[in-house]
Amino acid sequence: MIKLTDVKKSYGSGKNLFPVLKGIDMDVEQGELVSIMGSSGSGKSTLLNVLGLLDSYDSGKYLLGGTDMSNLTETTAAQYRSKYLGFVFQSFNLINFKSAVENVALPLYYQKVPRKERNAMAMDLLEKVGLTEWANHLPSEMSGGQKQRVAIARSLITKPRLILADEPTGALDEQTSREVMDVLKEVNKEGITMIIVTHENEIAAMTQRVIRLRDGLIESTGR
Amino acid sequence: MFDVDKWLEIFHTIITNPLRTVLTGVSVALGIFILVVMQGLGFGLQNGVYKNMQDDAINSLYIHSWATSLPYKGLNAGREITYKNDDLQHVVDKYDEVTTYSGRMGMWGVAMEYGSETQNFSLRGVHPGHLELERSIVTGGRFINAGDVADARKITVLGKTIVEDLFRGKDPIGEYVKINGVLFRVVGTFEDPGSKWENRNAYVPITTAQRVYGRNDQIDMFMVTTGEMSLTESIEMAAEIDAYLKEKHVVHPDDKRAITVNNNNESFAEMVNVFTGIRTFIWAVGIFTLLAGIIGVANIMSIIVKERTKEIGVRKALGATPASVLGLIIQEAVFLTTIAGSIGLVAGVVLLEVLAMFIDHEFFTNPTINFGVCLGALILLIIAGALSGLLPAIRAVRIRPVEALRDE
Ligand SMILES: Nc1ncnc2c1ncn2[C@@H]1O[C@H](COP(=O)(O)OP(=O)(O)OP(=O)(O)O)[C@@H](O)[C@H]1O
Ligand SMILES: [Mg+2]
Repeated sequence: MIKLTDVKKSYGSGKNLFPVLKGIDMDVEQGELVSIMGSSGSGKSTLLNVLGLLDSYDSGKYLLGGTDMSNLTETTAAQYRSKYLGFVFQSFNLINFKSAVENVALPLYYQKVPRKERNAMAMDLLEKVGLTEWANHLPSEMSGGQKQRVAIARSLITKPRLILADEPTGALDEQTSREVMDVLKEVNKEGITMIIVTHENEIAAMTQRVIRLRDGLIESTGR
Repeated sequence: MFDVDKWLEIFHTIITNPLRTVLTGVSVALGIFILVVMQGLGFGLQNGVYKNMQDDAINSLYIHSWATSLPYKGLNAGREITYKNDDLQHVVDKYDEVTTYSGRMGMWGVAMEYGSETQNFSLRGVHPGHLELERSIVTGGRFINAGDVADARKITVLGKTIVEDLFRGKDPIGEYVKINGVLFRVVGTFEDPGSKWENRNAYVPITTAQRVYGRNDQIDMFMVTTGEMSLTESIEMAAEIDAYLKEKHVVHPDDKRAITVNNNNESFAEMVNVFTGIRTFIWAVGIFTLLAGIIGVANIMSIIVKERTKEIGVRKALGATPASVLGLIIQEAVFLTTIAGSIGLVAGVVLLEVLAMFIDHEFFTNPTINFGVCLGALILLIIAGALSGLLPAIRAVRIRPVEALRDE
């Protein structure tokens, strides 16, 4: 599914060149539930953004589903994101003037799915995450756990092959974190590959494999 | 196909920022409002002046005389020049293009009497061609004809005001009025829509006027049409006539007062130029006002883009292509400017319509603008909207999702 070979990335330039990823080798199989751990500043988010085609890398090779992801144009990157990838963020990143159902349906707008159809699909997913009653509420009217479940529903609506979650429980209490993780595990059971960045050992323990990152390098692959 | 989704997206973002939307809208609406109203006022002025000019035939020469202003060939300045029938005849014979002509001999403060009413009006001896040259309208009976002139008949055609004041609703045709003690049979009535003073005239055959007032073959002034002549030809003709009359009446060639040949063709052409200038100026002012509006929209759109950085980042992460982001911002700008501009356009047109209802001044009538100007303004608006959205949209496209999504 995912294969990285010697992927490097630095920020800044010239004297201020600051390497963040110093040669990452890693692969993830189809259907795996993997967590990435590491101290703050070790490059977890950067790695996840590279995997999610949200950010570029300087050298090395990234194969996603067997296709080389180097030198993509913005438009093709957007199309890959739209078709194959789903994102869950620590701060939810819902659009605050859209209702839950509209937020969930938004990715399908960019796939030109008709409104009725995509809203029906969004309702199905909201039911799945237990938020049917909240469909027409704005994000500001919901709790953190509810918002994150909306975000998960949104990441699922395009039936992605891979979901990337950057500290999805980082802003949630223990109880809600567990609920959110349960939903994510459910999703993974349906065959969707999932990579979760986390600080918390309890969260990592719920995944099949933990990749540890230290100072821009893979410390252990958990295999 | 009409993309409902896109419009819902746009609509949503617009109603989410009502204050900003209104502020932007006002600047654009004001721009187009000013453009439309100024255009309308320009047209109104133009219509008024044109109408005033069309009081008289545009393709005509009016030839007046006055006292000389320069001594010439031993003759003193201040000598009164008076035209005769043969001056007019010369012009009519020489130029084939002259289809219509009239001499004019007038008297002011002439007592006119009918029944028990007596009032002072003006009397004018004219040729049949006077009707066309002065653009009067016969409202009853007929105008003076060639036979009237040949036989110096004592008939008259009365202006509207005289008819109203002397006859008080009675049909004047066939009645007799006593003009300066001489009886004239009324054969017709007329009205001059261009100037109200014309309506205080009683027209009589020029020969009759000359005879009754002992003026022999003298005329005060005369006028001729120039037919299909071009502007340059008519200017040439006017110069020739001017030279001929000066020679004949022994007037210094540089005397600008004694002989004047007024070319209405030329005055009209000058007026047209002046109004083209005014209208161009108004467009320029309007466009600059609109430009200020566009800059306003661009400014506000870029603030919107800045504020929505995160949202745009999210949209990109969810699969929005650069083209769709560009389209979203530009469509929003176009939508804003078009709606706001249309409001300004309608407000401007309504104001002009109201003005048109209440104002009908001699130099200002019908200040409405035509469909073409409205259409032009609308097209301008849409282009303006797209332009104002372009820069902010490009900025939105440049937003990198990683930067936008970074948690602070
Ligand atoms: N745009 C940027 N410009 C410069 N340096 C950056 C940029 N983004 C990240 N960095 C640096 O790169 C390093 C790795 O950042 P990253 O966000 O990947 O860490 P992280 O492992 O996710 O940390 P955390 O657990 O705190 O989220 C950090 O030192 C950070 O300061
Ligand atoms: Mg991070």
